[in-house]
Amino acid sequence: MNKVVNFYKRNLKEVLRDPLIYIFCLGFPIAMFFLFYIINKFSNGNTPTFEVLSLLPGIIVFSYSFVMLTLSIMVSKDKQTFFLKRLYSSPMKSYDFILGYSLVGLFIGVLQTLICIITGLIISLISSVDFVSISNILLLIIAQFPMLITNIFLGILFGTIFSDKSAPGICSVFISLAGILGGCWMPIETMGSFETFCRFLPFYPSVYIGRIITNSTNALGIAYSFDNIASFGLITISLFMIASIFLAIFAFNKNMVSDK
Amino acid sequence: MNIITIDNVCKNYKSKKALDNVSLSIKQGELFGLLGVNGAGKTTLIKILCGLTRKTSGTIRINNFDVDKEIDKIKEIIDISPQETSVANNLTVKENLEFFANIYNNNDANTINEIVDVFNLNEVLNQRAKTLSGGYKRRLSIAIALISKPKILFLDEPTLGLDVFARRELWNIIKKLQKNITIILTSHYLEEIENLCDRVAILSNGKLLKIGTIEEIKQLNNTQNFEDSFIKLVEANNE
Repeated sequence: MNKVVNFYKRNLKEVLRDPLIYIFCLGFPIAMFFLFYIINKFSNGNTPTFEVLSLLPGIIVFSYSFVMLTLSIMVSKDKQTFFLKRLYSSPMKSYDFILGYSLVGLFIGVLQTLICIITGLIISLISSVDFVSISNILLLIIAQFPMLITNIFLGILFGTIFSDKSAPGICSVFISLAGILGGCWMPIETMGSFETFCRFLPFYPSVYIGRIITNSTNALGIAYSFDNIASFGLITISLFMIASIFLAIFAFNKNMVSDK
Repeated sequence: MNIITIDNVCKNYKSKKALDNVSLSIKQGELFGLLGVNGAGKTTLIKILCGLTRKTSGTIRINNFDVDKEIDKIKEIIDISPQETSVANNLTVKENLEFFANIYNNNDANTINEIVDVFNLNEVLNQRAKTLSGGYKRRLSIAIALISKPKILFLDEPTLGLDVFARRELWNIIKKLQKNITIILTSHYLEEIENLCDRVAILSNGKLLKIGTIEEIKQLNNTQNFEDSFIKLVEANNE
């Protein structure tokens, strides 16, 4: 465990000393929150998706894709600079590396969640809207946890497979997908078969379940409730989480002893 | 006593033979040079010895441990300073040393201070690695490799890209280290091998052409200097 903690500390220092983390992981979700709040205000509150209770789960899920970006950049850079190769010849095991990277992702993800919740609280106070209860906030954090894990391991996977130049590009595709297919700022429930398609990916179900917890209503004015979409979504989210964990571990182990 | 024994090792990359039946042994406490032009197979051999790449065939024993079955035990007693100055760029020099020391549960302040002194890293101790000059980065890279107090140290092109002063300074440090550990050094700088190594193995196109002391190799080829011997051997192999 000492090696995991040691590697985690190193990774955390590397991340915290990179200004990009503050812009992408912390600044961007806050900016999005306020942007949609302003848009909603100027549209006289006619956009339910942009209501604070509806936005909160969407922005949390969206912000996790930046955890993926951060980890993919870190892993691919460590690989590119041969820092990892050097560590591979040390007594560190593959689980030391994977846990060391994952814990940093977890740290950033939890921090992002808290910042999103605080921002949501501030906006709800400004707009005089009742905010989510403390018990539901805890439930929301737990409910979004699988999505965070999925993003952490996708970040490790992409960083392992791709170079430091191509990994951010691949991640930006996923960031866009998280925003569009998650329905973070788009009323997917009104889009017929496109909505059905989105149920098979983890983004939309995560946002959907989050919105049940925050007691928000959809674009049709119907309150989100634990229905078939949510229960099917739980399966989708779990499958994506398990697949990302296995793929990342497989790719990383393969990279540890390779001809490259 | 031999600390490394390599028997008939081959490494094939798809259509290319990176190592072709290489056999050699390295004695404990020796400063052993692997010499060859680019693509000769030096780095591949080091990667195999460190468990970073798998050989295609042959056997290797390091400190009596089998490289295939007991690589974890081998990793406890070796360290490597790769060709690339692979350090944690956003960490300071001190943090880099502490990080690597912790991996080997060897975070003893005295050891770190000793290494900082040997490598003259005091003035850059609190400077981030990414801001260091090439010479300092190389020094840090080798210092990191020594923090684990390895029995065997692999130095892959340790002076690559350094100016003549930084190179000489590193040579002096390597000479000082030689007394305590076995060092396997790869280089394509002939004068570096000539100045530092007790014995040398010359590789070309994955084949071991000759092994011996500099003097032995010169005598065998009837040449006055080592460079002529090296060229003669490599050209004969290419014909």
